[in-house]
Amino acid sequence: MDADVALEILKFPIDPSRPLYEQFVERIRAAIARGDLEPGARLPSVRELAAAIRVNPTTIQRMYQELERERLIVSYRGQGTFVTRDAKAIEASRRALAREAVARLRETAESLGLTVQQLIDLARDEEED
Amino acid sequence: MDGKTAPTAQLQKGTAPAGRPAVVCRGVFMKIRNKEILRDVSFRVDQGQIVGLLGPNGAGKSTLLRLVAGLTPPTAGVVELFGEPAGVPALRYLSFLPDRGKLPGWVTVGEWFRLARDIYPDWDPDHAEELAEFLKVRRTARMSTLSRGEEARVQLLTCLARRAPLVVLDEPFTGVDMISREQIASSVIADFAGGSRTFIIATHDIREMENLFNQVILIGEGRILALEDVEALRARGRSVESRYREVFS
Repeated sequence: MDADVALEILKFPIDPSRPLYEQFVERIRAAIARGDLEPGARLPSVRELAAAIRVNPTTIQRMYQELERERLIVSYRGQGTFVTRDAKAIEASRRALAREAVARLRETAESLGLTVQQLIDLARDEEED
Repeated sequence: MDGKTAPTAQLQKGTAPAGRPAVVCRGVFMKIRNKEILRDVSFRVDQGQIVGLLGPNGAGKSTLLRLVAGLTPPTAGVVELFGEPAGVPALRYLSFLPDRGKLPGWVTVGEWFRLARDIYPDWDPDHAEELAEFLKVRRTARMSTLSRGEEARVQLLTCLARRAPLVVLDEPFTGVDMISREQIASSVIADFAGGSRTFIIATHDIREMENLFNQVILIGEGRILALEDVEALRARGRSVESRYREVFS
């Protein structure tokens, strides 16, 4: 059941000119932040996942290594790989995602000669017209 | 086996000498009827890789794979499998799917499996059964009546049901429907991850296959034009397809 969720999350149009593992990491990270992949959810094995979405197994291995490094998933020898139950780790990841999103927004604002707040105000103004 | 998950090969331990590259070509030339088909081809394929051999028609892909398979010696240069010269003794390392290869038309698929067991000393009957289920192969069908997609699946099964540590597939997707392609790709990956197999796959079907490869060898007019680590290529913002276009246009 959980494994199917992970599979669905990883079925998306891949950008062939960016490292695939990065794209997969982003998808899984977001799914954990949204709660679509719940704490303790079991993830498919490397082999299973690679064969199902037809990518090189090393891509999946790297994805799992990266997510493990970020402490979003944990592997238990002989039992499999699971989404962490560590609420702090998940919160830290969500905060990092929020910071990235705001940084992108700031870039857009600066390219228009605005602060983030001015950008948001401006967008609101237009809605009220 | 639920028939949904692609089955894994069980390689016999010690079939592939550890620490030696699966394939080495050094300064390989090939002339056929005075025509130079391959010119100074050198490359190495390490164990545990899925390597794409890419190039337009007439680039020399099939000739190169025939040399790797030891079906014919090169005019000059060295071809080695796991440190041994390519040829009859090195065949034990290799499972080869030739381009436009034919299986005997007069037998049924089931009869072919029994024949294959006698032909190939490394045939794994249990793995053949799992693959037949996953690839939805009809055992009662006569080989000559199979569709192109079914035939391709039986041919792939014939390659993967052996325990050879090196699998060489020459255009396994030509004229094959989408579902068969997907099943073939899944089987390749499952077999790869299960053991320490090495795959070399010649194809011009880049879009379908590029996510499978660790490495690609681009060959044109008989020469190696580029050797790329696929994720390193992507880290530079390039896809296999864009690199292919750059090399060949």
